[in-house]
Amino acid sequence: MCELCEQFGKDNRWYLNPDNYARPFYRKIEKDKQKEPMILDELRSPFNQIKPMIDVKDNPEAFEKAKEEFSKAWERSVGQVVSLEDAKKMAEIAQPIAKIDCLCRRSVRATLEDGEQRPRSCLATGVGMFRWEEWPERYKGGVEFISTAEAISHIQHWHKRGMVIALMAFGTPYIGGICLCDYPDCLAIRMRLDYGIKPILLKGHEVAKVNYDECIGCGTCVERCQFGAIKMEVTLKKTNIDMTRCFGCGVCANACPQNAISLIDREKLPGLREEW
Amino acid sequence: MLPQITIDKEKCTTPFECKKCLQVCPQAVFAVGPTKVDRFKETDPRDYEVQAVFRDKCTVCMDCVKVCPNGAIRVKIGDS
Repeated sequence: MCELCEQFGKDNRWYLNPDNYARPFYRKIEKDKQKEPMILDELRSPFNQIKPMIDVKDNPEAFEKAKEEFSKAWERSVGQVVSLEDAKKMAEIAQPIAKIDCLCRRSVRATLEDGEQRPRSCLATGVGMFRWEEWPERYKGGVEFISTAEAISHIQHWHKRGMVIALMAFGTPYIGGICLCDYPDCLAIRMRLDYGIKPILLKGHEVAKVNYDECIGCGTCVERCQFGAIKMEVTLKKTNIDMTRCFGCGVCANACPQNAISLIDREKLPGLREEW
Repeated sequence: MLPQITIDKEKCTTPFECKKCLQVCPQAVFAVGPTKVDRFKETDPRDYEVQAVFRDKCTVCMDCVKVCPNGAIRVKIGDS
C-alpha cells in the first residue's frame, strides 16, 4: 500500500486528489521574521546538504547516518515517478501550469532553457506560480503559462523522446512540479539511484512487464531506460526488464514497436507492492 | 579514497557563463549555483559558484583540468 495514498488520497492515487494542488496562496509571516533580509539560499542549499554526505562516503557508518538524515529531510518534498496516463490526468487537475527552465539541468550542466535557444522541459503548477516574478533567479529564462491541452502535448512530446515524468511536491502533499527528467541531469533520479535516497524520487504506481511472445529483441527499450532496469538477453533475442529496478515511467513501453511492454499495477504484485 | 577536487574561486569568476567543466565532465561531477538569491532580482553572474558536488563519481580523467581556461581546477587522489 502506498503510504502517501493512504494519507493524502481520496479513494484514488494521492496525486490525483485535487486537494493536493490547492496550496494556500498567502501565508502569515510572523512579525519578527519579516524584519529579516529576504535572502534565499535555496539553490545552493541542496548541494550543501549533498556534499557533507559524499564527504563521508568512505566511512560506511557515517554515510548511512548521513543518508538517513538526508532522506528524512526530503520527506517534506517528495517526488514520485508517474505514468503518461496519470500525468495527463494531473494536467487536467493542476491550474495554473507553466513551462519553466529545469533547475536541475541548469545546475548540473549550466544550460538555460529559455524557450529560444533551448525548449523548456519542466512544468510548474499551483497558484504560487502567479508570484513567480518575485524570484527571477529561480525562474531564470522566464515562465510560459500554458493551457491544459498544451501541457498534455508538452508531456507527451518529452515522454516520447525518452524523458521520465516525475511529480515534485513542494511541502508534501502539495504538488508544485511535473518534471521531465533524465539521468544524470535530474538530481532526484541521481540521488535515488546513486545514493539510495528514497523520498526524493519514489517509484511509480506501475511496473513494466515484457510479453515474451511479442518481443522481437530489437533493443529499442534498452537504450531508453533511465534507471538501468533493462538488459538484452542476447542469445534469446528478448529484452529483460528487472521489475524490482523498474520505476514504472513507461518510457520503454511508449517506444516499443511491437507494443510488447505493458504497465501493470504495482499494488497487484505481492512482491512489489511495498517497494516504492 | 575519494578524489580531492579544488576550484580556485579567484580564478573561476563566472562559471555559469563559462560552463566548460560542467559540460565536459563525463560523470557530471560538478554543479553550479548562485551563492545568494534575492527577491525581485536576478543574481549577478559573479555571484555564482561551481562545486565538485559528486566527487565520488570522479574517475580522475583530468578533462576538467585541461578544459578550464583559467587553470582554476585541481584534481588529485588522496589527502596529501
